[in-house]
Amino acid sequence: MANFRRFRPDDLNKLSKCNLDPLTETYELGFYLQYHAKWPALFQVAEDQHGNIIGYIMGKLESSPDVYQFSEHYLPWHAHITAVTVAPEARRLGIGKLLSEQLETAADANNAWFIDLFVRSTNHKAIAFYKSMGYSVYRVVKDYYGDHSSDPTQSSEDAYDMRKPLKRDVKKEHVRDDGEKHEVDPSDVW
Amino acid sequence: MSSYARYARPALKSSVDVQLQTAFSDGNWNLVIRLADKRFKVLKDPYYEAIKICAESQLDGTADKCAVLVAIDELVRQKAAPDLDTLELYEWASADFLHGIDYSDALGPLRTRWVKANPKSPLAVQCLQSCLEYWDLVSAQQIAAALDKTYVNSGDRRYMFWSITLTFLLSISPQCSEQSRNVYCMLVLKQLERAADITENSAKLELTDRGLITEEEICLYYRVLLTHGTKEEFLTRIQSSRLGPLHQLKQGRKLLFWETLTALENWGEWDRIFDLCHQALSLGLEDETPSFFTCDLRAWKAFALAASKAKNEEAALGEVQNTLKKFISIKSKANAMYKKNISIALLETTFRLPKPILTPSPDHKGLTPRVVQISLFLDHCFDKLSAFDDVKDYVAQLSFEEAKAFMEQVLPKMLVDKPDKLSQVILKSLNCKLQYLLTTCPQMLSHHPSMVEGNNYQCRFCANLSSLPCQHCLKKIILEASDTYMQIGADKELLKSIPRLDKDPRLDLALVMGTSILKLAGLRQRLSDVDPSPLRNVNPGLFLQAVLLLDTQLRETPSDTGLRLLLVQLYLLLGCATYAHQLWVPMDVKRSILDALGPLFFDRITSISPGLIQGGRSFLEPVRMSYSTSLADNCPLRIWDAFSTGSFSSILSLTEYDSRLRRSCTLVMTLIEERRAIRCYGGKIDSEIDDLPLAADIVDSTTLVNKTDYGSFPNLESLHGLPIQDFIRLGPELSNERAHLSFLTEQYFDILSYKPPKDYRPVKSNEVAIRERNYILECLDRLSNSLTSFIHLPETPSRLTSPEMTYYSVISLLSAALLTGISTTKADPAPKTLQLVTSSIKSALAGLRASLTVSTPSSLPMGDVFFSLSDMHTMSYARDTALAIKHSAAFVLAFHEKEVARDRSGKSSLHKDVVAEMKALEVVSTKALGEIKKHVQSLKEALGEGGWLDRMLEWTFGDEGEAEDEVTEAVSDVVDGRGGAEEWAGKVLESWREGVKGWGMARWD
Ligand SMILES: CC(C)(COP(=O)(O)OP(=O)(O)OC[C@H]1O[C@@H](n2cnc3c(N)ncnc32)[C@H](O)[C@@H]1OP(=O)(O)O)[C@@H](O)C(=O)NCCC(=O)NCCS
Repeated sequence: MANFRRFRPDDLNKLSKCNLDPLTETYELGFYLQYHAKWPALFQVAEDQHGNIIGYIMGKLESSPDVYQFSEHYLPWHAHITAVTVAPEARRLGIGKLLSEQLETAADANNAWFIDLFVRSTNHKAIAFYKSMGYSVYRVVKDYYGDHSSDPTQSSEDAYDMRKPLKRDVKKEHVRDDGEKHEVDPSDVW
Repeated sequence: MSSYARYARPALKSSVDVQLQTAFSDGNWNLVIRLADKRFKVLKDPYYEAIKICAESQLDGTADKCAVLVAIDELVRQKAAPDLDTLELYEWASADFLHGIDYSDALGPLRTRWVKANPKSPLAVQCLQSCLEYWDLVSAQQIAAALDKTYVNSGDRRYMFWSITLTFLLSISPQCSEQSRNVYCMLVLKQLERAADITENSAKLELTDRGLITEEEICLYYRVLLTHGTKEEFLTRIQSSRLGPLHQLKQGRKLLFWETLTALENWGEWDRIFDLCHQALSLGLEDETPSFFTCDLRAWKAFALAASKAKNEEAALGEVQNTLKKFISIKSKANAMYKKNISIALLETTFRLPKPILTPSPDHKGLTPRVVQISLFLDHCFDKLSAFDDVKDYVAQLSFEEAKAFMEQVLPKMLVDKPDKLSQVILKSLNCKLQYLLTTCPQMLSHHPSMVEGNNYQCRFCANLSSLPCQHCLKKIILEASDTYMQIGADKELLKSIPRLDKDPRLDLALVMGTSILKLAGLRQRLSDVDPSPLRNVNPGLFLQAVLLLDTQLRETPSDTGLRLLLVQLYLLLGCATYAHQLWVPMDVKRSILDALGPLFFDRITSISPGLIQGGRSFLEPVRMSYSTSLADNCPLRIWDAFSTGSFSSILSLTEYDSRLRRSCTLVMTLIEERRAIRCYGGKIDSEIDDLPLAADIVDSTTLVNKTDYGSFPNLESLHGLPIQDFIRLGPELSNERAHLSFLTEQYFDILSYKPPKDYRPVKSNEVAIRERNYILECLDRLSNSLTSFIHLPETPSRLTSPEMTYYSVISLLSAALLTGISTTKADPAPKTLQLVTSSIKSALAGLRASLTVSTPSSLPMGDVFFSLSDMHTMSYARDTALAIKHSAAFVLAFHEKEVARDRSGKSSLHKDVVAEMKALEVVSTKALGEIKKHVQSLKEALGEGGWLDRMLEWTFGDEGEAEDEVTEAVSDVVDGRGGAEEWAGKVLESWREGVKGWGMARWD
C-alpha cells in the first residue's frame, strides 16, 4: 500500500490526502522547497499505489545561531521535526513512526545530540504518538501558537517542546523528566 | 519581473565619505547626485560617476532610468574587467527593468569577466549567486568552471560539482546555443565518468578526492548518464559494487534504487528489474535482525511483474513466492505498514500467476487461488479504512465465475464468521461497495442480441437485459445500502461504537447510494465531443436525490473531504456556485496546493457564476498571488539553498518543477477567469495579457501542463471505466489546448481594445495610420493562424465542452474575418471569402442560441427550468460569442469610420462588402444578446415566483401523495423524507437565485 522515498517537488500536486485534513498546515511553496533544497534526505514521503502522498516528514539539522552561544536556551547541533503528518485513512499503520525513525537514523548519522519538535499542547494524539517513540516534554513554550486549535474563545495555545536523545547523548544530558514544569516564552525559542 | 525592493541597496565602498554615505542610505537621491558629481570632478574616480548614475535611476524620468543601462552597455564594450562595487551598484539600480535575457547579455558577462580576473576572491561566489538569481546559466557555468580550475588542487570539491551541475543544466537548457550543446554534453559526461572511475578504483576515498562520494553526487552522475550517456553505460555502472543502487541501499539510501528502477522500467529491461528487486528485497534478510527497509509495495510489484515476463515464468514467480515466504515467516516483527505491503505483495503475485495454475477443482468453480487470496486479505483487514482500495483493482480483474464465487460464497461466509454487530455493518458496507465496483466491470455482462435498443447485453449476475452499468443491480445496491444505513441509525449500541471506528460505515453507504443514483440518473461519461451539458440528458429527479442524499451525509460527517469535493463538483454542475463555494471554503485550499486543487473549484467558474468573483470579491486573488510569489524571480525558488548545501539532485528537481510551474494550466486558468469576470461586469482590464509577468513565458509552442489532483475523490469505479471526477465535471479538465485557446482569445480581445498610448502624439498622422493598420493586421494574421492551428488539433474537440468549441471556433473565424475586412479597401476587389466566414459565424451563433431552452415562467415545465438553471455554461458562451461578434464588427466599423474621416480621398476606407457584412453581424449579435438577456430575465422572474420549495421537493421526490418508487423510498428513508429535505432545497434555490442575480448584473452591450 505504500512506498517510502524522498520528497520531490512534484509531490506538491499530490498532497491533498494529507493537506486537506484540518490538522495539517499548508505552507508557501518556498517553505517546502527550502527543506528539499537544504536537507533533501530529511524530507521523506510515503505514497500510495496511485502516487498520492499519504504521509510526510520534514526535518532539518541545525544548532542555535552563534550569538546565542552563551544563552541558557542555546541549542547544540540537533535535528528538528518541522512537520509530520499522515493522511487520516493511513493512520495507525506505523507510517508516522517509520518516517520519524528514518529521520532519527539520519540525525544519528550526522552526529546530532537529539531530535526536537513543537506540538500543540492539546494535540493529544500527536503527543501520544511522540511519547510512544521515546520523546518527552523538555519545556513548555507559553502562547507559542497565535490561535487555539479547539477553543475559538482563546487567542493562543501553548506548545510542548518535545525531545528524544540520540546516540551521541550517552549521558542523557539533553532531556529531563520534569520538562512540563519548565516554562519559557516564545522569544526564548527560535 | 524582479522588483528591486527585494534587492537590498548595496553598501557604498568604505572609502566614500560619510556625507555621501548618509545621503545614499537615506535615499536622498538629489543630494547623492550632487555630491557624487562633485566627488567625481575632484577625485576623478569613475566609481562616483556610477553612484551618480544609480541615484539618477531612482528618479522618475525615463531618460534618467536609461542612463544606467547605457553605462552597463559601456562597460560591456570596454572588454576590461569591471570594478565589482560598480557592478553591484548597477545591478541594483537596473533590477527593476532587467529581465533574464538582458542580464545574460550584459551583467552576467561582466560578472564572469570579473571572476576570471579575480578567481581567488571570496566575492567570486557572490557573482555566481547573482548570475543564478537571474538564471543566466551561460555566465554561471563559466564562473563555476573558472572557480573549479582555480581550486582544483585545494581539496574543496564544491566548485567541481557546481561546475558539473551547471554544465549539465546548461546542456539541457534553451539558453545553450546549438553549436555548443554537444560540447557541454560531452564535457559533463566526461567529468563525471572520471569522478566515477576515481571512486571505483581508489582503495579508500578521502573527502577531498575528486571522486563521487555523497549520495547527491552519485545521483547527479546517474541523472547525467541517463540524459547524455548510453543505455549500455548505465547498465554497466549500476552493477558497480561501489556506485550501484545496491551499495547505496546497504547504506540506507533509496533514491538511486528508485531512479534505477524507473529507468529500467522505461526500457522494459525485465530481467534486470527482476534481479535488482530480488537482490534489494533479499538485503533485508541478510542480517540477523531482518530489515523491512526495502519492502515497499513498488519493489514487490516490480518484482512480481518482472517475474511474470521472464522466459521461465513459473520459476521466476516461484522465486518471488520464495522471497515472500521468507518475509511472511518473520512478518510478526514488521511494522503494520510493511505487514500490509507483504500481504498485498502476496495478492499481486497470485494475480501474476499463469492461468493454468489458477484453475480450481471442478467442484469449487470460481474459488480460484485469486479469490482465496482476496478473501484471506480481507479476513484480517476488512475493517480498515483502506480495505476496499487495497483489493479493488484485484476484484475488478476477476472473471465472472470468480466474482460470483467471491460475492456469493466468500463474503457471506465472512458475515457468518464475524457475527458481532459492528463487523456485520462494516462487512455489509464493504459488500455494497464491491457490488458497485462489479457493475463497472464489462466482464459481468454477456452479449445478448436484443430488440431493446441500447440493451445488447445481459447482466450475468441478475440475468436482466442491460447495458453497463446494470440498472437492476444498481437499484439492488441502493436498497441494500439504504437498509444497512437505516439499521445503523436505529441501533443505539452501534451508534455508540461508531466513533471508535476508522470511519463511519454510513459514509461509505451514502457514497455507494449517491454514485449509484447518479448513474441511474443517466450521468455517465461523455459519449461524444458534441455532447450538450452533462445534465441535459439526466433524470433531474434522480440527480437531485443523489445530491440531497450526499449533502445530508456531509452534515453528518463534515470532515470527510472526499465527500465534500464530490459535492462541490455536483453543485457546480447544478449551477449552484455560491453553495459550492460555501462547501469549498472550509477545506482551506491555499498556497502551495492551489496549483493542484484550485481547478476543482475555479475552472470555468465565470461560465457558471461570474458574480461569485466579481469586483471586491476576488476569490482568485490568492491564487494569482501564490504564483506571483513563487515565480517572482527568474530562477527556480530556493535554488541557491540547494547549491550552497550541495544538494545536486534537488537542483535538478527544483529546476524541472519551476519550468513546469511556469507552464501551469492552472496559472493560465487563473489569469483567464479573472479577466473574464472583469469583462463580464464592464470593469477595466489593467494590462494586456502578454504584458503580465506571469504570462511572459507563454508562446504557442509552450506545452501547458495540467496537474490537477483528484487523489482525494472517493472512487468506487474500476479501471475499466472513467474515474468519478470525469463524469461529474462540467466538461473536460484543463488542457494544453484549452489553455492556449483561451489565452489566444484574450490576446484577440486585447487587439480589439487596443489604443495607442495617450502621451503619444504623432506628427505625421497618415504614416501613423498606416503603421497602425499594419500592426493590427500583423497581430490578426498571427492570431488567426494560431487559433486555427489549435482549433484543428486532433485532440481539441475532446478537450472542450461543445459551447466552448463553438466559441473558440467563432473567435478563430472572427480573427480571419477581421484580417480580410481590414485589409480590403474600397480599391480592392470584393473579398470573396468574407461572406463564407461570416455566414459560418452566424450559423455558429444561431446553433448556440438554439440550444438554450427557452423557459416560460407561467408554465414552468420542470425540465426547461431545471436544465436552464443547471446550464448557465451554455448561456454564458452564447453571450460571450454574441459579444465577441458584436465587438469585432464594431471594431471594423470604427476602423472604417476613422479611415473615412482621415483620408478624404476615400481610398483607404474599407470595401463596401466588408462594411455591409459587419453591419449584418452587428445586427445579428445585438438581436441574439437581447434574446439571451431575456432568457436570464425570465429565469430570474421564474425564480421570483412563489411555491418554489414545494416545487423543488416535487422535482426531487415526485408529486406528493403519489406512490414513490423503491429508490425514492430508500433515499427518503435516509434523508428523513420531504421534511428533512426542506432546508437543503432552500439552499439550492437560494444559490440558483444568487447565480441568476449575478448574471442579471452582467453587461449585455
Ligand atoms: C500524529 C500522526 C503523525 C501519527 O501518525 P501515524 O502514522 O498514525 O502513527 P503510527 O501509526 O506510526 O503510530 C505509532 C504509535 O504512536 C501512538 N499513536 C499514534 N496515533 C495515536 C493516537 N491517535 N492515539 C494514541 N496513540 C497514538 C501509538 O502508540 C502508535 O503505536 P500503535 O498503533 O502500535 O499503538 C498522525 O496522527 C497525524 O498525521 N496527525 C495529524 C497531524 C499532526 O498532528 N501532526 C503532528 C504535528 S506536531
